[in-house]
This record gives sequence, structure tokens and C-alpha cells, in this order.
Amino acid sequence: MVDAGLKGRILAALHRKPLDIPIIAITGGKGGVGKSTISVNIAAALSEMGYRVALLDADVDAPDDHIMLGITLEKPLDVTVNVPTIDAGKCTGCRRCVDACRRNALFQPGDGVPILIGDCNGCEACMLACPEDAIRKERKRVGETYMSERDRLLLFTGRLMPGAEESSMVVNALRNRLHASGGGSDVVLVDTSPGIHCNVINALRGADAVYAVTEPTPLGAHDLERTLKLLLAIGLRARIILNFSDLPGPREKITVMAKAFDAEISCELPMDDLLLKSHVEGVPAIIMFPDAVNSTSMRRIAEDIAREYLQ
Amino acid sequence: MKEVVIISGKGGVGKSAISASLGAILMKKHKVVLADTDVDAPNLDLFFTARLRSSKDVKASEKAFINCEKCTCCLECVEACKFFAITVSDGAPVLIRYFCEGCGACSIVCPEGAIEIKDMKNGNIATFDIDNAVIVSGELMIGESSSGRLVDEVKRAAKEEAGRINADLIITDGPPGTGCPVISAIKGSDYVIAATEPTPAALSDLRRIFDVIRHFDLPSGIVINKAGLHQASEDLIRDFAKQNGVPILAAVPYDMSVPEATARAMPVVEAYPDAPASKGIMRLAGVAEAVLNEGGSLSGIFRR
Repeated sequence: MVDAGLKGRILAALHRKPLDIPIIAITGGKGGVGKSTISVNIAAALSEMGYRVALLDADVDAPDDHIMLGITLEKPLDVTVNVPTIDAGKCTGCRRCVDACRRNALFQPGDGVPILIGDCNGCEACMLACPEDAIRKERKRVGETYMSERDRLLLFTGRLMPGAEESSMVVNALRNRLHASGGGSDVVLVDTSPGIHCNVINALRGADAVYAVTEPTPLGAHDLERTLKLLLAIGLRARIILNFSDLPGPREKITVMAKAFDAEISCELPMDDLLLKSHVEGVPAIIMFPDAVNSTSMRRIAEDIAREYLQ
Repeated sequence: MKEVVIISGKGGVGKSAISASLGAILMKKHKVVLADTDVDAPNLDLFFTARLRSSKDVKASEKAFINCEKCTCCLECVEACKFFAITVSDGAPVLIRYFCEGCGACSIVCPEGAIEIKDMKNGNIATFDIDNAVIVSGELMIGESSSGRLVDEVKRAAKEEAGRINADLIITDGPPGTGCPVISAIKGSDYVIAATEPTPAALSDLRRIFDVIRHFDLPSGIVINKAGLHQASEDLIRDFAKQNGVPILAAVPYDMSVPEATARAMPVVEAYPDAPASKGIMRLAGVAEAVLNEGGSLSGIFRR
């Protein structure tokens, strides 16, 4: 078990912030509850208010923010990992690399030179284990990051190559790219992937506020609970956005849960065809339909963020 | 016995809703196991009156543990970790366990033998009985990793269950995205149904998911959910299907009955059997059945 002191140090390391800029994360357990729609609208609203916004699309499996913003991705950079190629001239067949690979990706035919046959995640354990310096690093592309600018909005997008498994490498590269870009923004918004896995945690690092988006269905309630448990475990407090709030589902479940986790329901967004229209047109609703009820609600979230973190 | 997997790339296009309804239809004619491999957010059992039969913990993850007493703070491990899972705090290495992949690189470089790689419990697999079928569902523990390996275990458990009840069909509800749990979910299956919806975002993710499906060379088809939502996007999906020689198995009309059934915790085909969406999913079931029965191993088709 992790003792309390160590847990504090782990959390401090987890949330260490290379840039002194407020970070607001939008997350949610279930897919399709509106994380990206809400993210691009809050980003657009803050930008409209005159703030310089960095939006991080950290759903590297299915990055869609640029589509909803009608932005063409720019300035691609490759994300690569190092995979092993074994030099037959130097290899003595000692097998240490094969034993070091816990994914069993290296295969040694007889007592010959090992070859890479399985999925390598670029951990480089084999290279560290080789006593003969017989393993050459070969670059394998696993994804790209992009940095696209429009007005006061800087969009950072990560994209995992289809068929590649190394999504955490892409999220790391995305975070590094944000940090390398310097402190030119007033606020960072992070749109996470759905779920509770390590990439979601990676995207939530250092967040000053976290909005957990859900819907009033049994599925939404179940997945919200998992998100709230995760946030509790990593020392972050949640605010809840209830999307499709007029669906005839188990609302009280969500109200009770919010209370149990000491999380406020900070906004409700009823179902709205206008959101859908703006979604397919690639223009945020707050710009396309500025007077719609949901646009007003999402603008209010942006105003809350500005008041609390951007003064 | 055949396995069909439903994936989508984009979340929320209706994988679970379609899986549940497809299951509800096909379990009337076949022996079916439903497998939920969306281990981040397993929801399939919520559509049914599911009775939990058993639940077992799974150790499908490994993590490094640093023994502070042996550690001399040389920090070689920090450099060795390609996943940035080890950082420095007050001069000592601190492992941020969430990002540890258990690769063991740190333990190889540690001159003091202070780092051990241990098996970790990262989830559980629950088996539910429902009236006409069995659900095998995987759930990732909060803060744990290696969801791909957990999915492998769920698929193994579902196969075992299918063998036990002599099932004709496994219907696997996949995770969103394109990463390792998705790859684990589709590997070794007989057919992949890619669910999508007519929006530009879903189309973008559909293209990505087909790159993965092609990578593993699996037979596949598309179901357009929420058809009628946006004609221009729907035309683009049909163009994409034609250009890539992928069949459109069915179009399920945009229909508020689906979220309303979901809110009531029922498959739409049970809650509103006459709704347009239910008719669409019934067409999908018919087509899926015919496709899966090619070669005859979906023997239950003759059973009725």
C-alpha cells in the first residue's frame, strides 16, 4: 500500500505544472456525451471574450475538435518511438534482450539472432539489456501532433496512427508541444478521451478545474461514477455538466451521486437541434446561434472560468 | 461459432445501444454470448435485467515498485523510462504508477536491484445471466492500465462461456477509439461492424477505424446510425463505403426512441419494437445473420 506521504508526493509529481497557466479540463466516462462540443464552445467563448486560448485535443484516438471548429490541421510533427533492429555481426545470441522484453515481442530462432515479431511499444528495455551494444534504434512513427492557429485560439491536436497502440506516447508528445510553445496563452483547455484509462489521467494532469460531462441515462450515471472516483483518486474536484438534460432518465441518481462526491452540477444543457446543426457545420454553436439557450449556458461556463481563474 | 465485434472510432454513436438490440433480436434464435469489452465504461448489462453469476479479479497488468531502502537516488531509472512515469521529488525517484507500463527498463538499469516488477490486479470480469443469453463484461479498475490485456481476458472468458453453453454467436461491444483495447477487441473476430453516424466528426473517425480494420484484414461492414441527421455527411459515408468496397449493412433512422429506451435501461427493439430505429436494427440483424452464416457455422439459424 502507498503511504499517505508517498501518495502526496506522487500526486504532486502528477500535477506539477511546467507552465504557470490555468488548466481547465473537460472529461467524461462515456463517449458521445458532448465533451468535444462543449470544449470547442467554451474555447470559442473565451476567445470571443478576448482571452488567448490553447485548446488541447487529447482524444488522440478520435480527435474531432478541429472538425467542429472548421480548422485545417497545421504544422504536423511526427511522434516516433525507437524499436530494435539487431546487428547480426555483434549479437552473441545471449538472449538477454528476449528475456527483457515483457511483451514477448522478440523471438530467437534456435540460438540465432533475435528478431522483432510482436508489438513493440518502444520501451527500449532490450537495448538496455544487451551487453554487446548490438541493438540499433530504428524510428517507428506512431502518430502526429499539430498546432493550428486561428485568431486568439491555438489548437493542439494529437493523432494516433491507426493500428498503433502507443496512444500514451502521443499524449506525452502533445503535452510537450504545448509546454515547448511557451506561455503565450491565458488559459489551457483540455478535451480528454472518454473513459478512465491512463491517457485520460495524463490529460487531466495539473488541472485547476475539471468539468465531467454526462447524460441522465443509466449509462451516463454509471460512467459518471467511475469518472468521479478517478478524479477523487487523483486529487481533483469535479463539476458536472448534465448534457441532454431533458432525457427522461434517472436524474436523481446523478443528483445523489453529485452530492456524495461533493461535486456541483454547474450546468444543464437540454437536447437541442441547433447544437447538432452547428456540430455538422463545423461552427461552434455560440457563434452560429449566439442567442440559443445552450449557447448562453456555455458562455456562462466560460464567464465562470474567466472570473475564477483569469483575473 | 462466430464472433462479431461492433466498434465505431467515435464514442457515443450507438455501439452499446446497437449491440444490446442486436443481441436482444439474435438471442431469440441463437445461443448468444454478449461480451462487453468497453472496459473503461462497461454498459451493456445495464440494458437488461442482468443477474450477476460470478465476478473474478484479473491480473493483466505489471508495474514497477521502487524499494526506497535499497535506492541510492542515482536516478538512472528516470532516464530509462520512456513513458515519463518516473519523476524526481526531493532528489529521489517517484514512480507515477498511472503511467508505468511495467516494461522493466528501470529495473534493468538500476544498479542496486531496488526495482521490482510485480503483477497487478487491473480489473475484473463479471458474468451475468439474462433471460436468453449470457453477458461477459470487463471492467478496468479506477486508475489502472493495460486495458488491452484486460480486453484479451474478457474475450477469452467470453469464448469459454460460449463453449460451455454451446453458443453459436458472440456479439462483442467494443471500446471507442482506435488504440490498444480496440485492437485487442477486433483481433481474432470473424466480422467487424463499424457503427457510425452522419456527422463530419464520426466520418473522420470511421476513416481511421477502417485503417485499423484493414491493417488486420478483417471482413467488415458499416451501419449508419442516426440516419437522416445530416444528408451531406450521409452521402460522404456512402461514398466512402463504395470507394472502399465495404457494404452498408443497414441504416438506422435518427429516432428519439433510442435515447429514450436507453434512459429506461432497455434495448430499443424491446422498449419500442415498432419505432423506426427498431425496424432498422432488425434489418441489421437479418443482414448480419446472413453474413455470419456464410460457411454455415452459425448453425442455430436452422434451430428456431
